[in-house]
Amino acid sequence: MSQAETILSGSLQHQREALDRSEITASDLVQASLARMDRHAHLTAVVTRQDEAALRDAEAASRRIAAGAARSLLDGIPVVLKHNIVQQGQLATCAARILENFVSPYDATVVERLRAAGAVVVGRANMDEFAMGSSTESSIYGPCRNPWDPARSCGGSSGGSAAAVAAGIAPLALGSDTGGSIRQPASFCGVVGFKPSYGRVSRWGLVAFASSLDQIGPFARRVSDCAVLFEQIAGHDERDSTSLPQPAPKLRERLDGDVAGMTIGLPKEYLVEQGVDPGVLARVREAIAVLEGAGAKFVEVSLPHTAHTIATYYLIATAEASSNLARFDGIRYGRRAKDAVDLEDLYRRSRSEGFGAEVKRRILLGTYVLSAGYYDAYYGKAQRVRTLIRRDFELAFASCDVILTPTAPETAFRLGEKSGDPLAMYLSDVYTVSANLAGLPALSLPCGLSNGLPVGLQLLGKPMDELSILRVGDAFERLTPHHRLTPPEVA
Amino acid sequence: MARVAALARLALSPVEIEAMTRDLEQILTHVASLDALDTRGVPPTLHGFDLPTPLRPDRPAPAMDPELAVSNAPARQGTAFLVPKVLEEEG
Amino acid sequence: MTDWRDRYELVIGLEVHTHLKTASKLFSPAPVRYGDAPNHAVHPIDLALPGVLPVLNERAVELAIRLGLAIHATVNPVSVFARKNYFYPDLPKGYQISQYEDPIVSGGWLEIDVALDVAPNVALNAKRGETTTRRRIGITRAHLEEDAGKSIHDDAVAGGSDSAIDLNRAGVPLLEIVSEPDLRTPEEASSYLRTLRAILRALEVSDADMEKGQFRCDANVSVRLKGETAFGTRTEIKNLNSFAHVEDAIEVEAVRQIELIEDGKSVVQATMGYDPDRRRTHVQRLKENADDYRYFPDPDLIELRIDPARIESVRASLPELPDQRRARFESEYALSPYEAGLLTTSRTLADFFEATARASGSPKAASNWIIRDLLRVLKERDLEVEQTALSPDMLASLIRLVDAGRLTARSAAEIFPTLVAEGGDPERLMVERGLEAVSDSGSIDRFVDQVIAAHPDVVAQIRSGDDKPLNFLMGQVMKASQGKAEPGSVRKALAQKIRG
Repeated sequence: MSQAETILSGSLQHQREALDRSEITASDLVQASLARMDRHAHLTAVVTRQDEAALRDAEAASRRIAAGAARSLLDGIPVVLKHNIVQQGQLATCAARILENFVSPYDATVVERLRAAGAVVVGRANMDEFAMGSSTESSIYGPCRNPWDPARSCGGSSGGSAAAVAAGIAPLALGSDTGGSIRQPASFCGVVGFKPSYGRVSRWGLVAFASSLDQIGPFARRVSDCAVLFEQIAGHDERDSTSLPQPAPKLRERLDGDVAGMTIGLPKEYLVEQGVDPGVLARVREAIAVLEGAGAKFVEVSLPHTAHTIATYYLIATAEASSNLARFDGIRYGRRAKDAVDLEDLYRRSRSEGFGAEVKRRILLGTYVLSAGYYDAYYGKAQRVRTLIRRDFELAFASCDVILTPTAPETAFRLGEKSGDPLAMYLSDVYTVSANLAGLPALSLPCGLSNGLPVGLQLLGKPMDELSILRVGDAFERLTPHHRLTPPEVA
Repeated sequence: MARVAALARLALSPVEIEAMTRDLEQILTHVASLDALDTRGVPPTLHGFDLPTPLRPDRPAPAMDPELAVSNAPARQGTAFLVPKVLEEEG
Repeated sequence: MTDWRDRYELVIGLEVHTHLKTASKLFSPAPVRYGDAPNHAVHPIDLALPGVLPVLNERAVELAIRLGLAIHATVNPVSVFARKNYFYPDLPKGYQISQYEDPIVSGGWLEIDVALDVAPNVALNAKRGETTTRRRIGITRAHLEEDAGKSIHDDAVAGGSDSAIDLNRAGVPLLEIVSEPDLRTPEEASSYLRTLRAILRALEVSDADMEKGQFRCDANVSVRLKGETAFGTRTEIKNLNSFAHVEDAIEVEAVRQIELIEDGKSVVQATMGYDPDRRRTHVQRLKENADDYRYFPDPDLIELRIDPARIESVRASLPELPDQRRARFESEYALSPYEAGLLTTSRTLADFFEATARASGSPKAASNWIIRDLLRVLKERDLEVEQTALSPDMLASLIRLVDAGRLTARSAAEIFPTLVAEGGDPERLMVERGLEAVSDSGSIDRFVDQVIAAHPDVVAQIRSGDDKPLNFLMGQVMKASQGKAEPGSVRKALAQKIRG
C-alpha cells in the first residue's frame, strides 16, 4: 500500500496533518482514492466517477495547502456523495432509470458548503432507487456489495456511501436518511453514520423522498470526523423553509471522552430477545457495560408506541413520496418513453418504464392512502400517531440525556434474501424510523462483530442535541477498538 | 388498484397488478394496527418543530439561462418543452 | 322562450383568480414578467428540478392581508399550504401549492351597485336620476396559490401534433377570491367583478388586467324557481376573461339550465367551457369524472403564522378604498351618492375626477362632464379613461372657459370629442374654430336687433305682458350667433330692447 493509501485509510486528523506537513498532496490523496475505486469496482459502491473534476479540484487544493491557505479541516479531503444530492454539471440519477441521464444545472447547499471548505467530490455512491429500500439492491447500477462479505448487502438506502467509506475509497461520504438510510448501512458496513436533527442540514438539492423525514448526514470511520463534516454542512439555509434558524454548532472541540454523570436510557421495548439477532444483542450489552464502566448511568425508559412506528412511517413516507415523485413525468427532464401515442400514454409509459418495482409499490401505497375517503383513516391517522411517538420521546428524555439501542435487529443479510418480501424489509427498520418521525439526531457506530459481520450501536438524542450523542459515541470509541476493525479484503 | 394506478399515472401489467395488490394488502393489514389507537384530541404532526414558515423578501433573482433550463428536456422547440398535443384545459 | 327572470331566479357564486403585484414569484425568486420568450423567466424551482424547495414570498402575504382587511374579512393567524395533486404538462411538480382547509383570509364582504329594475322594492325611495342601489355580497375566503405555466397549442408547434410548454407564468402568485352564492343576475356578477377589481387596483394588490390573464373568473351557476330556498344543481363555467363574457356566459348557461328543467330533464353537475363566438356553454368534464386531488399539507413548508402586529401595520398603511373615497366625495365635493358611486367605480376614474375638480375649482361641473359625457364615450368605445387623450387639465380648462363666459355650453360640447380623441389645449381649439362666446354689446345688439325686426308679432305679444315667447327669441338669437352669443348678455339685451 502506498503512503497516500495508508494515509487515506487513517483518520481525518492524520490526513490533515499529512497534508499540512506536505508529506503528501491533496492530489496524491485523491489519486489514491481513485485507485481504490478501481480496486473495489466489484463492490458497485461508487457508480459514477468524477475523476477529471476531482483531479482539478485536488490540484487547486494542493496549491492552497502549499501556500498555507487551507480553507478548512476538509481542504483537499476526498468525499463521496450519494447519487440523490445534486451537483452542477454532474449526473444525479438517484439510481433510477427515469433520471439516468439527468445532469443538474444547480448545486445542492451541502455541495456549495463542501466546495467552500475545499473538500473534493470524487464520485457518486450507489443507492436504492430514490432512496427507497434498505439493501441498495433496487438500483440501475446493480446491487452494492458489502466489503465485509460481497455476497451480503451493504444495507440501504445509502449503501454505496457506507461501503465506500468501509472500503477506504474515501474517508468521508454523505448520505441521506429518511427512515434509517444512513444508520442501517453504517451498521452493516462497520462505519459511523450520523443523522442530524431534522432541519439541521439544508435539503436544498437533495432529491426528495419524504420531505418531512429526509435529512442529509455524514459517514466516516471516526465519530469526530463525522462531527467535522457535520459542522461544515449544517446551519441555516434560507432556501429550505424547514431549515432551523440556528448556525451550525461547534461540536468536535467539545468531544472530551467524558461520559461520567451522563444518563443513558434503554427503551424496554427495543431490547427484547424476540426478533433480535443474539449476536447483535450481545454486542449491545457489552457496549452498555463499557459505558457503565466509564461512569454513565443507565435507566430504563419506555416508548410505548414502538409497535406502531413502522406503520406510521410507511404511511407518511409513501404519501409524501407519491407526491414528490409526480414531477418525474418525462417532460422537462428525465427519461421519456418512445412513441407515446398521446399525452396520457406519455405519462404512463414514461413513469412505468422509468420507475422500478419498489418505487411503484410506494407510489401506489402513497396515492392510495391520500385518496378521497381514505385520507383520515390512513394519512391523517398516521400524523396523529406521529404526535404520540414524539411525546413518547419527550417523556423518555425527561429522565435521560441519550437513548441507546441496536441500530438494526440483525447484521448484513444476504443479497436477494429479502427482496421478495417488502413487508419484512420494512419491519427491519424498526429501530431507526422513530428518530425520523420525531426529528431526533441519531448516530450509529461500530460495536464489534457477530459471526464476522459488524454490529451497529445506535444513540438517539433530544432534538437539536447532537452534542450528547457524539460525546457518548466518541467516548465509546476511545474505550474500544471496534472502529479500527477493517473488512478482510480491504486490510 | 386500477384506479390508484391511473391516479399515479402508472401502467401496470395484469401480473404487476396482481403482485402489487397482494403486497399492498399485506402492508395495509399491518398498518391497520393503528386503528387500535385512540387519537381523538391528538393534533397531527407535520414536522417535529414549532416554527412558522419563513418568509422571503420580494427581490427577484436573475432568471435562469433558458438554454440551461431546457438542457435536460427530452423534446424541445427553441426554449419551450414539447409534449404530445394537449387537448383539454385543466382548471 | 319568455324572459326567465319572470319565473326563475339565478344563484351565482364567483371564483376570481388575480395575479398579485409582486416582483418575484410566490415560492421562487424568478422575476414575474409578461411577454418573455418561453422559459426566459424561470428558476430551477419553477421547473420543479429534482431537489428544489419552495420559500414563501413575504410581499404576497402582505398583499393578501391587504385584500382581507379591505373586504372586512378575518385574516387568519394560522393558515396552511397544501398540495393539490394532478398531472398536467404546465404543472411542473405534478401538484399545485395552494391553501385548502385553512386559507389566509375568510369571511368577508363587499358592496356592489345593483340596477333598480331588479330591486323594485327600493325603487320608490330612489332619488331622481338614481337608477342603482347597493347590495352586500359575501366573500367566503381568499387564499394564496401559485399559477401554472402555459400550454401553447399553436399549429406552428412541431407541425401541429405537439404542444409547447412555457413555464414563465408557473409560480406567479395568485389570490383566489371565492364569493358566497349571493349574486342573482349576470349584471350583479359583473358589478361584483368591477367592484372587486377596483378594490384590488386601489390597494395595489393586483393590476388585474384581464387581457394579460391577471384577473380570471370562474362562475358557479344554478337556477331555481322564485320562492325556492334550496339550491339547484350547479355547473361551473371556467376561464371567463372579460366582463362581457361573464355576463353572457351566465345568461346563456342559465337559459340552458332552465330549458333542461322546463323539458323535464335535470341539470348535471359539470365543469363547463364558454365559447364567446357561438355564445354557447359546453360540458368539459362531468363531476363524476373529477380528479381526486389528494390534498395534504405541503411538508416542504410549515404553517404560515401572521401575528396581530403585522396585520395592524398593514391596516395602518392601507390606501383609501373605493367606499371610503365615495363617502369623502359626497361630503367634500357635495356630490350625490349616485354621482360619487359612479365616479369611484375605478381608481383611475376617481383620480381623474378629483384632479379635474381641483384644477377647475368646480367639482359639480367636473362631475357633470365626466358622468354625462366622458362615461358615455368610454362605454361606447369600451375604453378606460387612461386610454383616451383627455387629461384632467384639459377638462378643467374647458370648464374654466365655460365658467368665465368665454365658451358657451354648446361650443364646449363641440370641442369635447376632439379632446377625447386627440387631446389639445381647449382655449387654442376655441380660438382656431372661432367658437369664443360673443359678449361685447355691439355684436349682441346687432343679433338682437335682427331677431326683433324679424318677429314683430312675438315682440308685441311680450310687450302685452306675456313673457313666454321670450325663450323663443333667445333661441333665435343663439341660432343667429351660431351658439356663440353669451346667453346672459343676450337675455339682458332682449329685455332692454323690448321693454325699453
